[in-house]
Parts: sequence; C-alpha cells; structure tokens
Amino acid sequence: MNKIVKFYHEMGSPPSFYRITQHWLMPMLILAIGLTFYGLIDGLFFAPEDYQQGDSYRIIFVHVPAAWMSMFIYAIIGVCGIITFVWRMKVAEAVMMASVPIGALFTAITLLTGMLWGKPMWGTYWDWDARMTSQLILLFLYIGVAGIYAAYEEEPRKAARLAALVAIIGLVNLPIIRYSVYWWTSIHQTSSITLSGGSEGIHSWDMLRPLLVMALATKFYYIYSMLTRTHTYLLKTESNKKWVANAVTKTKGVQS
Amino acid sequence: MQFWALFKRDVLVAWRRKANVYQPLVFQLLVVTMFPLGLGAGAQTLSKIAPAVVWILALLSTLITLENIFKDDFEDGSLGVYVLSGMSLPLAILSKTTAHWCTTGIPVILFAPVIAMLLHLPEHAYGILMLSLAIATPIFSLLGTVGSALIMNIKNGGMLLSVLIMPLLAPVLIFGAGAVLETALSNSASTHLLLLSGSLVLSLTLAPLAAAAAIRINLE
Amino acid sequence: MGSGLLSMPFFIKSKPQSSSPKSILLTTPSLQIINAQCQRSGESLFTPTSLQLNAGELAVIAGPNGSGKTTLMEAVAGLGLFTQGEFLFNNRQSHEEWLEHSHYLGHKLGNKGNLSCEENLRFICHINQVQVSTDEIESVLEQAGLGGYDYHFASDLSAGQKKRLALGRLLLLKKTYWLLDEPFVNLDQAGCDWLYQIIKNHVKQGGAVIITAHDQKKIHELAQHYITLQPFVEGVE
Repeated sequence: MNKIVKFYHEMGSPPSFYRITQHWLMPMLILAIGLTFYGLIDGLFFAPEDYQQGDSYRIIFVHVPAAWMSMFIYAIIGVCGIITFVWRMKVAEAVMMASVPIGALFTAITLLTGMLWGKPMWGTYWDWDARMTSQLILLFLYIGVAGIYAAYEEEPRKAARLAALVAIIGLVNLPIIRYSVYWWTSIHQTSSITLSGGSEGIHSWDMLRPLLVMALATKFYYIYSMLTRTHTYLLKTESNKKWVANAVTKTKGVQS
Repeated sequence: MQFWALFKRDVLVAWRRKANVYQPLVFQLLVVTMFPLGLGAGAQTLSKIAPAVVWILALLSTLITLENIFKDDFEDGSLGVYVLSGMSLPLAILSKTTAHWCTTGIPVILFAPVIAMLLHLPEHAYGILMLSLAIATPIFSLLGTVGSALIMNIKNGGMLLSVLIMPLLAPVLIFGAGAVLETALSNSASTHLLLLSGSLVLSLTLAPLAAAAAIRINLE
Repeated sequence: MGSGLLSMPFFIKSKPQSSSPKSILLTTPSLQIINAQCQRSGESLFTPTSLQLNAGELAVIAGPNGSGKTTLMEAVAGLGLFTQGEFLFNNRQSHEEWLEHSHYLGHKLGNKGNLSCEENLRFICHINQVQVSTDEIESVLEQAGLGGYDYHFASDLSAGQKKRLALGRLLLLKKTYWLLDEPFVNLDQAGCDWLYQIIKNHVKQGGAVIITAHDQKKIHELAQHYITLQPFVEGVE
C-alpha cells in the first residue's frame, strides 16, 4: 500500500513523472506497433467474412477501436480537467493537453472510417444518424478545448485552466448531447459488442480476437503518444526549472 | 440592490447602443429573405422547413450578440468594478444574463411570429413556437455568458465562441425545434417542452458558476 | 489570499451581518502583505515584497517599467493572485472584509462610455451598496472640475476628464483604503493639485493610500512607506 501512495505522489511531480515514465516509451511503442501488425493481418486476412456485409465489414477493426478511444480519451481529458481545475496539478494539466490532439485524431479517424463504411452499407458517405452526429459533436468539443488553449497560448497556466474548465463543461454536457441525439433519431445498427455476453454483430471468436487486439494496440499507442507529448509539454512549460536542464543535458550526454 | 443596479446599467447601456437590440432582428430578416430566393417560394416547401429555420435563426441571431457580454466590461475596466464590489460573482453574472435576455431574448421571441409568417409556418404552431423560445432564449443567454466569459480576453473570439457553445446548444435546438415541428405535424410537443424546461433549470444552476470560474481564471 | 476553489464564490453568500462597516473598526485597520510575489506568464516579476500599511499612512510603490507595479496593485486589490506570500487585513485573511474597505482604481477606469457622468457615479455607488443623493453627486462632480457635465456621456470627455470622473468615486464611496495605479497620468496641473490635496486629506482623516506614481515628488515626500520593486532573477534564490 505504501508503495502505491509513494508512486501516486511521485507521479504528481513533473520531475519524477518525467524520470519514471521516460522508460515506458519504448515498450509502449513496440507493443503498439506489434499488436497493430498482428491485429491488422489477423483482421484483414484471417477473420471470417461477414455473411451480410462481405469483406467491407473489416473496416471495423479500425473504426470500432478508434471510436472507443475517442470516448475513452475524452473521459481522461475530463478527469484531468477536474484535477487541473481543483488541485492545479501540473502533470494532470500536461496529460490533459497532450491527450487533446490524440483524441481529436481518433475522433476524426472514427468519422472517416465510418463514412467509408457507410458508402457500401448505406449507399451514402454521410448519414445523420445518432452515433455519427454525436461523434461529430464530440469532435467540436475537442476543437473547443484545443481552441481555447491556443487562444491563450502566451499564458500557459491560464490557458490550461480555461481549457480544463471547457473540458469539464463538455464532460457534463456529453451525456446530455448523446441522450438528446439518440432520442432525436436512431436508425443505426445496434452496437457491435454488447456487454451482456452475446455479440449481435460479431459472431465468432475469430472476428472478436483481432478487434480486441486492435483495441489494445490503440491503447498502447495512446499511452506512448500521450507520454511523449506530456514530456514535451512539461519540458516547455517548466523550461526555467533546474530539473529540465538536468534532464536535457543527461539525454545529450547519453547520445554523445 | 446590487443585482438591480447592474441590471439597470446593462439594460441602459444596451438600449443606448440601439444596434444591440435591432441587429439580431435585421439579421433574421436578411437571412429569411434568402430562403425563398434559394429554395423557391413554394409555400409547401417553406412551411416544411419553417419550424427549423425560425428556431435556427433565433439561435444564430442571439449568437452574434454574445461576444461582448463581458468583453466590453473587461476592456473598459467596469468588470473590475463589480468583481471588487463584494457582490457574489455568480449573482452578478445572473444579473447580466437577465439584462442580456431582456434586450435580445424578448425581442427575438416577439419577432418570431413575423419570421414564422414569412415562412408559412402553420398557424396553430405559433403558440408553441413562442413558448419554446420563451423557455429557450434564457438558456441562450445563460450559456452565452459562459462562452463570453471564456473569450473575454481574446481578440476576434467570435468564432471560438461559436465552437465552444455549439455543442452546448445542440440539445436545446433538438428539443426546441422538435417541439415546433411536432406541433406543426399536429402531434403533442409536451415531452420536448419538458426536456427544454429541464435544460433551462440545469443551465440556470450551472452556467453562472461556470462563467464565474472562467472570469476568475481570466483575471488571475 | 485563498486561491482557486477557495476564493471562488460558488454559493451566493449572505452579506456579512455588520449594520455599518465603520462600527467594527474599534482598532485602526491594518493591511499586511508578507513576502508577496506575483507572476506574469509563469515568471516571477519581483523579489518577495512586504508592506504593512495602517490607517493614516501612505505607501508609494515604485520600480522601472515592467517591474510588476500594476500586477502587484491588482493582486492587492483582489483582481489578481499572489503566487507566494501572505495577505492579511486586520490580521485575518478575510477577502470580503477587505473588499468592503478598499477601492481600486487602475489604468482601466471602469467608466461606461454611453452612460452620463451622473449615471456612472450612481452605478458605482449602488453596486458598492452606498446610498447617494443627486446633490452629493453634483457636489463631487463640481469638486472634480466636472461641474455642469452631469449629463454628458463619459465617452465625450477628454482623457483627463475621464480620470477626474473616476477619481470622483473615491469621494463618494468613502472607503478606507484607496489603491491608485498611476492616478496622476493625464491630469493637468490643476488636476494634479486637486488629487494631491484629496490624497493628503484622506490620509489625514485616517484613510490609507497605496499609490504608484513616478515623477510626483510631492506625493513621495508625503509617503510613510516607499517600496521599490526589485526585478526577480531566476536562480538567485
């Protein structure tokens, strides 16, 4: 227990966060790339064909994990936003701002692959169904957080606190948006995977396996990318602190 | 007393700057003229889109008035005057919201039948249209103060303001325009109106706090 | 200064119960700032600065351009934040009490352009919960050299007149602590003399003033405290 508390406190301070997590980067990247390779090959070549949708369903191996990530990352941004806003924790602020572009990217990927999937399935690239619409609004939420930060960029702390506020407002609003949009219309097919055991859209383990592998791969990619960005953010905003100088010279020393 | 002092001042300032009051209405009139020009003047086509267009116009015309709610006060320093007056900041924001609603919300509600008539909205839907706008325009003002407080320090923040509050307004639009549409189709709109009222209560409790937080951060 | 959540009025507070603010002041009010520091864009502006200001005293804050005078004044007023140090009023950290006894006049004067001089002053009084009669407002405008301008819009005034209008508030609000950031700027000779006179009277009558003003020898001679802000250099700690 004691160790966990200590770990928690260390992760809250930028220097120790940097020191600890810089060793995580490589493993995360390798896992992300390896799992993506495995997942894509398995999903694209070995998973069975869908009896209704043929081969075109295979885009779900990108689409669904990206959609999961887009929501998951916004949740992380919201939680980090609360921590930034209430306790002014620097690391939370960094993680929050580092996650925004990644989350926006996953949201955009979800939308794009959704559109590509929609063409053969519905005969149109875009359909104003509940999930696509709320995904689009989610993209606006991401843009809002990034936009308010960019507008105040000369004052990073103020920018981060305002961005945190916007993220929290978005987090409160997200269920309302989703509820109202679903209520507004629902013509989309039901979720690919339901929590209650059985899967409706997905029939066999051979289909599910690459999907889960890809979901893991995106998580690892997120952790890798988020940590890299967090490090950059911390180095940039703490550039007048001593630990940054030490960290930078140390890296240089290793290289030379 | 502080509440009314600030309210009175804001109404007076807005009233003296007449453009504040008539700009949204002129905007609505301009845009509504474009619809028949672009779509064709068939009464059937127009009445089909009327519920949505009247509502979206009300929303957009409010949007263009939001940017300056706090920006003007921030720039001339009178924001400091009421922040330092010892008045509770959320209460001050509520006062400014009320003033904003009186000077833009009420004219928009009263003007809606004109726009509705121009678009051939079925006559039995007018009542619900006004009612839905009466519930929703305070929400516009409330959420508007949040957006306005977030961007008060930024030059040309109008675009960012729209991005920030569009997701917040999306449910309001769904409930509100939906209410008018259902009525136009001779269905009951009570579910929509109840959800709209729910949104009003929620934004009435949360928006002043969020705007106060944004102002505090901006002043740091 | 409570920071973040603590200083944020999340709930609508009931007014403090004091019937008249003057009645609490059995002892002389005092303001204490201990080792305070402010930041702009994440960088500390000046070395830790302390000040104790009792009623009946005048403090001048000096320092080169960019040394953080305005930032310090705003933080003292309650608009900004101290990143370090302590702020005590009457030995308490009570923000409300301080706001009740102080008035801040910064570079941004806070006049509304399309309100008349009279309306501007009336609003300031009402928002600060001070009852005021038309006669009082007229007499203050007269003193400020704005007699007959009652119904002129503030935006029609010259820069110096706008300043005079803003300074007129101080006479109406009757707060103990005045925080004046470069109040002499834009004033003509007569205006400077008038301002000097009201500051002098205020201090004599048991008020306290914190002022930033360069080039104002007369004011500097009047001051009990003279604080020069030293630029903060990173790493000297």
